[in-house]
Amino acid sequence: MRETVEISLQVNERAQSLRIEPRETLADVLRDRLGLTGTKVSCDAQVCGACTVLVDGRTVSACTFLAVDADGGAVRTVEGLARDGVLTPLQQAFIDEAAFQCGFCTPGMLMAATALLEENPHPTEDEVKEGLDGNLCRCTGYAPIVAAVLRAAEAGR
Amino acid sequence: MIPRFAHRRPRSLADAFAAFDAAGGDCAWYAGGTELLAVMKMGFAQFGTLIDLKSVPELGGISADADGALRIGATVTHREIERSPHVLRHLPGLAALEREVANIRVRNTGTLGGNLAFAEPHSDPATFLLACDARVELAGPAGAREMAIDELIVGPLTTSREADELLVAIRVPAPAAGEGRAYAKLAFFERPAASVGVRVRVVDGAIADATVAVGSLTDLPIVLPAAGAALAGLPAEPAALDAGLGAAIAVLGEIDAIPDHNGSADYKRHLAGILLGRAVTQAVEEARAHA
Repeated sequence: MRETVEISLQVNERAQSLRIEPRETLADVLRDRLGLTGTKVSCDAQVCGACTVLVDGRTVSACTFLAVDADGGAVRTVEGLARDGVLTPLQQAFIDEAAFQCGFCTPGMLMAATALLEENPHPTEDEVKEGLDGNLCRCTGYAPIVAAVLRAAEAGR
Repeated sequence: MIPRFAHRRPRSLADAFAAFDAAGGDCAWYAGGTELLAVMKMGFAQFGTLIDLKSVPELGGISADADGALRIGATVTHREIERSPHVLRHLPGLAALEREVANIRVRNTGTLGGNLAFAEPHSDPATFLLACDARVELAGPAGAREMAIDELIVGPLTTSREADELLVAIRVPAPAAGEGRAYAKLAFFERPAASVGVRVRVVDGAIADATVAVGSLTDLPIVLPAAGAALAGLPAEPAALDAGLGAAIAVLGEIDAIPDHNGSADYKRHLAGILLGRAVTQAVEEARAHA
């Protein structure tokens, strides 16, 4: 039986109504139905963090989160960070600190760090490392990423 | 891709059982999905219907009684537990454990009930809750019952829960006077390589009785009564404790450990011995604070 359900949610502050199958993940819906391909799927097993998005302010792995569970909720993706072409302090800090090389982990890093800074605007270095534990980067060795988050926190002071 | 299924979202326990009935048994209870969706994605499991329990109010919430006994609803997430004032106050070892489960995304969605019902042999909470003599409440169309953790988890990925039953809550007894409970693990990946849960009761400066549970070494978490007995009588002083742990560590050295991607059987037994020392030290510290 192919069941479909209607869901209504906010994605980056825009209302969306979609008819989907219950088995569709949030990553599927964001990428394939809404064209928001900034959210990357890498490990597909909730380990790497590349697909990190915010649902009602909490970070989730969009690869293993059913889109029906976002029904009625507010989803934020990397596309929702910059406004009118103006980067957030965090995005700018990633550029200034050269906190990415291949860039595949970057959307997830940005969303994880955004959630961290919203909850704790002035984290210590250890708190940044703890907050990003579970977001994997195979290029940078992490130091510039941690530096970027600390720089963004400083900028927001 | 996850195999096709129908989705139901009951708003009460009665509606949940009705949904189970309507699905003719070809269904699974679903909450955080951190385990279930992963095995479905890998093709290890397929169900006609997933019954989402997150909107069933009877399964949520954390409460504590005046003595500090805790009741944690089955659909409470790891993240909620790590931040719960009740848990931080009455069972800080559980809050500390939950802060180190997998990663923050898994903790934001994964639930304690789901973790125990999945019965993964490397479960953090199962091992610690076993040492704490926790009990689980189950409910089914035939009524409610409760049982100890080692009555629930009977094998790898296997519980004694009937298909139509679900976990309602986990109850952890209040600490007795002079009691302390702690957990120590070492993890290279998302799940521990070895883990030890310890409960000690300290009377007159010495360990009067203790419970030792070990996880991740065998195909389910186990209590080692001989290790607990070997801790009894030890002085509750860090230096003297270290010197006296040999007999208890020797008991852990006899475990028929299963080698896995974390290391050999010998290595995992070695880790368990080290972790036992750490957990006992922490438990004794907590016990002295409760004296």
